[in-house]
Amino acid sequence: MAENVPSASTPTVYEARGLKKEFDGGKVAALRGVDLDVREGEFVAITGPSGCGKSTLLQLLGSLALPSEGTLNFRGRSIPDMPDPAHYRSHDIGFVFQAFHLLPTFTVLENVQIPMFEGGLTKAQRKDRAVELLESVGLGHRLTHFPSELSGGERQRVAIARGLANGPSVVLADEPTGNLDSANAEQILELLLKLHRDRKVTLVLVTHDLGIAGLATRTIRMKDGRVVSETSSSTPSLANHP
Amino acid sequence: MTFFTIVTRGLMRRPVRTGLTLAGISIGIAAVVALVGMAWGYEKSIGKQLDVIGIDMIVSNMTGGIMPKTFDASVEDKIAQLPKIKETTSLLMQLISVEDAPMIMVSGRKWGGFTWHQLKVVEGRMIKDEHEPAVVLGRLAAEVLKKKVGDTVQLDSDELNVVGIVDGGSVVENGAIILSLAVMQKVTLNEGKVNFIDIRLQPGTDKDAVTETAAEIKKIFPEGRAVKASEVVGTSQGFRVARAMSWSTSILAITVGILGVMNTMLMTVFERTHEIGILLAVGWRRQRVMLMVLCESALLGLLGGILGVILGAAGLMIMETTPAIKGLLEPDLSPRLLIISVIIAVVVGLISGLYPAWRSSRLSPAVAIQS
Repeated sequence: MAENVPSASTPTVYEARGLKKEFDGGKVAALRGVDLDVREGEFVAITGPSGCGKSTLLQLLGSLALPSEGTLNFRGRSIPDMPDPAHYRSHDIGFVFQAFHLLPTFTVLENVQIPMFEGGLTKAQRKDRAVELLESVGLGHRLTHFPSELSGGERQRVAIARGLANGPSVVLADEPTGNLDSANAEQILELLLKLHRDRKVTLVLVTHDLGIAGLATRTIRMKDGRVVSETSSSTPSLANHP
Repeated sequence: MTFFTIVTRGLMRRPVRTGLTLAGISIGIAAVVALVGMAWGYEKSIGKQLDVIGIDMIVSNMTGGIMPKTFDASVEDKIAQLPKIKETTSLLMQLISVEDAPMIMVSGRKWGGFTWHQLKVVEGRMIKDEHEPAVVLGRLAAEVLKKKVGDTVQLDSDELNVVGIVDGGSVVENGAIILSLAVMQKVTLNEGKVNFIDIRLQPGTDKDAVTETAAEIKKIFPEGRAVKASEVVGTSQGFRVARAMSWSTSILAITVGILGVMNTMLMTVFERTHEIGILLAVGWRRQRVMLMVLCESALLGLLGGILGVILGAAGLMIMETTPAIKGLLEPDLSPRLLIISVIIAVVVGLISGLYPAWRSSRLSPAVAIQS
């Protein structure tokens, strides 16, 4: 359950103003001026129909792409102007994708260690931490398996463990349950909420599922590249999920 | 898991393609080892021969061709008068096809000269006098020509008796047919002509005196040139041509190797765009992605280099036993050549990986991950 409900005085993690993203030299506008604030410890769900720009917004928050216009700050620092965006991606945030994006030629244990090469850890430290993370997501018995040998839910749990590799304070999740059946989807949601609750991780989750969005402390609804509404909930609960 | 694990895993994704690329590099490096090994071996063999005989300087007219032009034998008497000269002897040498052997050194030596002294008879006897129509064969030459004492050797239109087999202490000497200068001049229709004068200097002759002696020889014999034995190889046009040919062929082989590795690494980067996108998305720096690609290509080079050195060395050993080469030269398989060849292979790998590495580091994580 998401019990960390921040107040207005809680520091801002993300601050976006007039955020635009265009493709094909301006022919396609994915974001048409988004204003957004995400506070420390919040669980923000971004919803909307396919093509509304929610995944593009998450990519900009994760510095996977640069905005065409507008300002986007992470704890007061401009993301597009970061001198070392790789450090931000590896240490400040963890990304969880709908399609898992695990490396097929590496085992579960190795996949989780991949981001740690930027963490300055020794070989033994990397391994120990990866084992610890995989055990925390219930995959301690799957360390030497390859992604192709896992179920969709297990793959997503590996991806979550990888996202936590360098101890980020923010997790950006793009339709993390989109490729899963309802039982696995529920387990993944429980895991993300547990992270949010136990590790005080700020969670920004993109979903088109309003049931999942209902679990968040705040839901931002997008349409045609714009934020069209915001809803806050002071008592979000996994029980709300159908 | 280490960074090296990631690098090797990248190469093992496509084992057949990696294997074929390794084969390409190794053939290129094998060509370098074989060709350069032959050229260096040739130089080393000549150097060893001069050393064994104890020659300090050589006078010849090296303009054009692999073997020097002939000149009047009387030049030797004039040179012998110079103050720093201890001893001289003259030769008429030709590299010719003899019977079934494609190329063999035939060395006519002035009777009584110091170039006879180091020859040890291992079978039969030495030539009796300068007019005896006979030859002695170096051990390797006897093997190549399949001759034994009592046989005859056809030189031009003359048939000469093989009276002995000798050990000359170097591959060049052992690969030669040796006879007296007088008989050689007669057989090759070069009466009164020689093409080498070998010189021994007075003990303790310093570098300046050697230079001075060379200048005085130039005055006596303007068309010729006197060089120190240690410089013979470097100043010989034939050797220079052989060296240039071996390196230019090697460069061609290396270029083919570079293109092969570059093609493989570019294919790898194209195929792994998605994977590289993931690495960038989870926080890998662009430099680390570049390093990964460069390490993969360098590792390809290193493995190809090691394989190529083994192939090249085996090739040289086989070539050494062929009739065309046996007795003419002793291929150089020195650690220096082997190390240089492996270094070349690694550099080839690194150069080939530069563009693919740069390209991979330029990918946008958002675009790459969706590919």
